[in-house]
Amino acid sequence: MKEIIHGSILRSLVLGAVLLTSHLALASDKSVLDRIKAANEPFDTMKIDSTHPLSMKTVRSNDSYQGGTFKVLTRKDSIERFRCSGCHKDKKVQVRDGVSFTHGDIVINHGSEGTSLSCSDCHNEKERDFLVGKKGQKIDFDHSYQLCGKCHFRQKSDWVGGAHGKRVKYWAGERVVYNCATCHNPHSPRFKKRMPATFSRPLDE
Amino acid sequence: MKKKDMPDTQCSRRSFLKTTSIAAAAGSASLVTGCIPGKNSGSSEEFKLKWEEYFKEHYRLMTQEEKDATISRLVRLAKLQRGLDLQMSSRPAREQVLYGYAFNISRCEGYMDCVKACVKENNLDRKSKTQYIRIFEMEPGQLDPSTGDAKYFHEVPVDNKFYMGVQCFQCENAPCVKACPTKATWREPDGIVVVDYDWCIGCRYCMAACPYWGRRFNWGKPEIPDEEVTTKQHYLGNRIRPMGKVEKCTFCVQRTREGKLPACAEACPTGSRVFGNLLDPDSEIRYVLKHKKVFRMKEELGTDPKFWYFID
Repeated sequence: MKEIIHGSILRSLVLGAVLLTSHLALASDKSVLDRIKAANEPFDTMKIDSTHPLSMKTVRSNDSYQGGTFKVLTRKDSIERFRCSGCHKDKKVQVRDGVSFTHGDIVINHGSEGTSLSCSDCHNEKERDFLVGKKGQKIDFDHSYQLCGKCHFRQKSDWVGGAHGKRVKYWAGERVVYNCATCHNPHSPRFKKRMPATFSRPLDE
Repeated sequence: MKKKDMPDTQCSRRSFLKTTSIAAAAGSASLVTGCIPGKNSGSSEEFKLKWEEYFKEHYRLMTQEEKDATISRLVRLAKLQRGLDLQMSSRPAREQVLYGYAFNISRCEGYMDCVKACVKENNLDRKSKTQYIRIFEMEPGQLDPSTGDAKYFHEVPVDNKFYMGVQCFQCENAPCVKACPTKATWREPDGIVVVDYDWCIGCRYCMAACPYWGRRFNWGKPEIPDEEVTTKQHYLGNRIRPMGKVEKCTFCVQRTREGKLPACAEACPTGSRVFGNLLDPDSEIRYVLKHKKVFRMKEELGTDPKFWYFID
């Protein structure tokens, strides 16, 4: 009887020791947060050579992020009927119903009620191929993020850092991000309601 | 894991079985079970390839030559059986890379473009409508997806609701890895938890162990129309799984190891999905962790997931 008890104690001791050491072995693995804290050397993403040049046109941003300069998708190439100065020359355009033929699809739903924006709040009335800042400064369409950032400065700093907007196709290689107006319609920036692309079946089916 | 960790007898037993069973199968039809490919399954080349596939090693014990050999067999089999031209990779993890993900719950609008892109990219079974990602429609104030609705199908976003995506969180201390009795699932050096589909026995212990509903089981052979198959594949990623195996999100290992974003992040129309290298202080994911209010789901379980939720 005594031997049996001794044996079982011995066995449980051995088992305990095994469990304890296995637990220690797991605990010695560094947690993600520890590894992040320890990683302060910038990673050279350019050494990942499989990031091929993008098919979209890009331009170097006037801002820079924590990792240096970066590129944005251009806008002028995707605006139909750019250059504006094709029609809007020195003289006022005087064509009957001209505005409804050419810009009748534009619905301005930008700015809160009562302070809704008008065309000339963003579009440069003197130099038609440019946008205009609050203090009258000329802003290129490709760098329209500079204009958006005048009001939406929080979103702008998140966009520069990487918490708003998104990179194009690659996490590695030179940083290329979407321009504000690539995703948001500048005349009506809120995303529209629509049906989801697909649906899910219940998990417990 | 190095080869010497395994007892020598196992390797010799394996090769012994291989030679003896080839001899036995030639003489005895009764030995041809459901697992071993039958003699009448296609051409003799197909039979030979399947036979060799049956006796291959665990992925982590393979030499690079063995990996190349099994990949060329799988590519050839796909050509013989379905006429598909696959490009399959075995690219290992890159050094100084630890993948991490952040999901913006104040930006997601519930459009589910991510889910659609994931199904296409990862060759998921269309018949059972398998999906790695679930988007929950949540009531304000609730941060536990079990209170949300993942079956919604109506115009989104609904006012005063928010949306929360759940997928495999690639836990650093993954309970699924510990639960697997055949070591068919493990965490790669770049943090991605992968499955060797040929060593998975389909016991689904890992599914029971996962507190995040991160894993899926193939009740049948995945059905994908030929023209919809993603042909750029990775052995540990989106290659078409056999029947009876557990599969999961791998952060699109076939894409991310080539420097691309995962399919879900690329498809997202709202920019709610941030992906990057956690070990790079200049990366977007590190910016989010440093400057935003972030949390991880069920952090108290100690699973140490590499997937954060954040609020603008």
